[in-house]
Amino acid sequence: MTTSRQPPQDLAASLLAAALLLPGVQALADEPPQGGSISLRYLDYADRQSGLDRIRAHSPSIAVTAPVASDWSIEGTLTADDVSGASPRYHTAVSGASHMQDERKAGDIAVTRYFRRGTLTAGAAYSTEHDYVSRALSLNGTVSSEDNNTTWAFGIAGSRDRIDPVNHVVVDEHKRTLSILAGVTRVLTPNDIGQLTLTRTNGDGYLNDPYKLFDNRPRSRRQNTVLLRWNHFVDSTGGTSRLSYRYYSDSFRIRAHTLSGEYVQPLGGGWSIVPELRLYTQSAAYFYYDPVYDGTLGPPFPPGFASAEPNRLSSPDQRLSGFGAVTAGLKVQREIGKLWTVDVKVEGYEQRGNWRLFHDGSPGLAPLHARIFQVGLTRRW
Amino acid sequence: MVDAVVRFPFDAMASRCEVRLAAPDGHAAEELALAAIAEVRRIERTYSRYRADSIVSRINAAAGRYSVECDAETAQLLDYADHLHRASGGLFDITSGVLRRAWDFRQPRVPHARELAPLLALVDWPAVQREDGAVFLPRTGMEIDFGGFGKEYAADRACALLQERGVRHGYVNLGGDMRFIGPQPDGRLWSIGIQDPRKADGTVASIAVSQGALTTSGDYERFFDVDGKRYCHVLNPRTGMPVSHWRSVSVLAPLAVLGGSVSTIAMLKEDGGLSFLAASGLAYFAIDGTGQAHHHSISGDYAS
Repeated sequence: MTTSRQPPQDLAASLLAAALLLPGVQALADEPPQGGSISLRYLDYADRQSGLDRIRAHSPSIAVTAPVASDWSIEGTLTADDVSGASPRYHTAVSGASHMQDERKAGDIAVTRYFRRGTLTAGAAYSTEHDYVSRALSLNGTVSSEDNNTTWAFGIAGSRDRIDPVNHVVVDEHKRTLSILAGVTRVLTPNDIGQLTLTRTNGDGYLNDPYKLFDNRPRSRRQNTVLLRWNHFVDSTGGTSRLSYRYYSDSFRIRAHTLSGEYVQPLGGGWSIVPELRLYTQSAAYFYYDPVYDGTLGPPFPPGFASAEPNRLSSPDQRLSGFGAVTAGLKVQREIGKLWTVDVKVEGYEQRGNWRLFHDGSPGLAPLHARIFQVGLTRRW
Repeated sequence: MVDAVVRFPFDAMASRCEVRLAAPDGHAAEELALAAIAEVRRIERTYSRYRADSIVSRINAAAGRYSVECDAETAQLLDYADHLHRASGGLFDITSGVLRRAWDFRQPRVPHARELAPLLALVDWPAVQREDGAVFLPRTGMEIDFGGFGKEYAADRACALLQERGVRHGYVNLGGDMRFIGPQPDGRLWSIGIQDPRKADGTVASIAVSQGALTTSGDYERFFDVDGKRYCHVLNPRTGMPVSHWRSVSVLAPLAVLGGSVSTIAMLKEDGGLSFLAASGLAYFAIDGTGQAHHHSISGDYAS
């Protein structure tokens, strides 16, 4: 890459000065570019567990980016989800799913300030369900190298949640989290971009699920994530592959590996097709117990319940179990005219205790299947 | 009351053009638009290479023979061309139009090097002599033209004229190069799409603008494809061959004439285009030969 012999500001100033010498062109104060976009996605999600229709969510959400002034832009997302159906059963071995209706209101706001070689975004989010209030603040920034081939990212985010479960297991409990993020994105060749991101999250407070029996988790959780991504443009096909690997570990002694890949192939005529595959495996938290019950007391009491000290840590949450999962999906998208893009996505998900690759699984759990069918419509303007 | 926006499409400089403006009534809007269109046509007429009586034709006809007296406006355009030649390291050369004798984009034929060599000998801006407001092309057959920024200059002039007459909302679009007077009457910005360089009816991005100028250079304006390779009308003045690195370069600048020059020079710089764009301090959206987009959103501090 060649570089100009003149320092940047000199080149800009000298070109403008020369243009201004032309008669009758008259310069005006210039405003930085301002953009807007709107998209509407309609998500239809259904998953099955042992033949039971558990949850269906219809979630229209509108994201608006509104230009306000100068080089500031405010992004806002308003989501109105209504969830009606059986919530995930806390144990596959317990029958009789409870019925739950839930209304969620959420809003977030982010303000981005642009600099010559960087950005700084400050965000705030608020979300409430009838038993849960969450407030979050974040600050994220990026800095690019002079040649724009390398971008460093950093971020810090904190949240404070209040939990007041309707069953009054606890009253007015709190949870705090603090996350820090550091990452680097680098253009490796004209066809390759690589990214490395490290995240550390410290959570303190009430981390239990109030709607699960015998859910008593440590009041502190330390989580670390390493994410590696590689996007490659394939000259011969005009397609783009996106590969990523994520390693996760935490103080609950969960270790997880995620390997995912997708490939975007334009087909001409505005069509493109995106096959995707995701492999996941995780080990169980040290206090997770499989759906095996105490010989004397029977379900839902965990083994040794009677003799254990009352504050013993335990959780039957499936998300803390050891399992492996495979997701395979296919998305077809089509540009309609200049302004609209429509996409249809079908995804299948299967999770099994004995599919974990590196650690002990939870063979007592029933496999979980899900299929996701999503139609999206995006308009450019 | 909010003034209505009226559109006045017209053809000029071999392009589809349009003036859009808001005025208190239709009659006033038409009068204003006609004045702006007349200014565009004046520049087209004055600097056309196709009209024997234009100053450009007279300068070219005198090549190798005598010098031609220039008016102040022409002298200033030549000064700007000289500045661009230096700022681009010699790649922006208003004497390179002679290469059109070998490249006819109506038929897909790549000229031989032996056809290009005598023409390349005529591409030589530094050899052009300018003294006391006169210009002399030293070799017979040499030519200049203002095709590289004439359209953008006309857009700037037409806009300035409208502003002087009190127009506060509207823009002038000359074949996709635009200069903006101000936002829509209700304060909303104009939303402008960036042409997809490979799909005539598609856009690849959009930008909301109210002031300044948005210009785009691309390899899709005049071109032919042979054996899967694109030959476009943007020619390197040293090799006589079409540039190939960028499919399109759009620039947001305070003046159309500045944006147009920067986007054209970026095309000419090929793989050095991105660092040139960065050094220009202007906002840009560029699509390279693989279809990847490179962009920078914020314009620099022009006034420094």
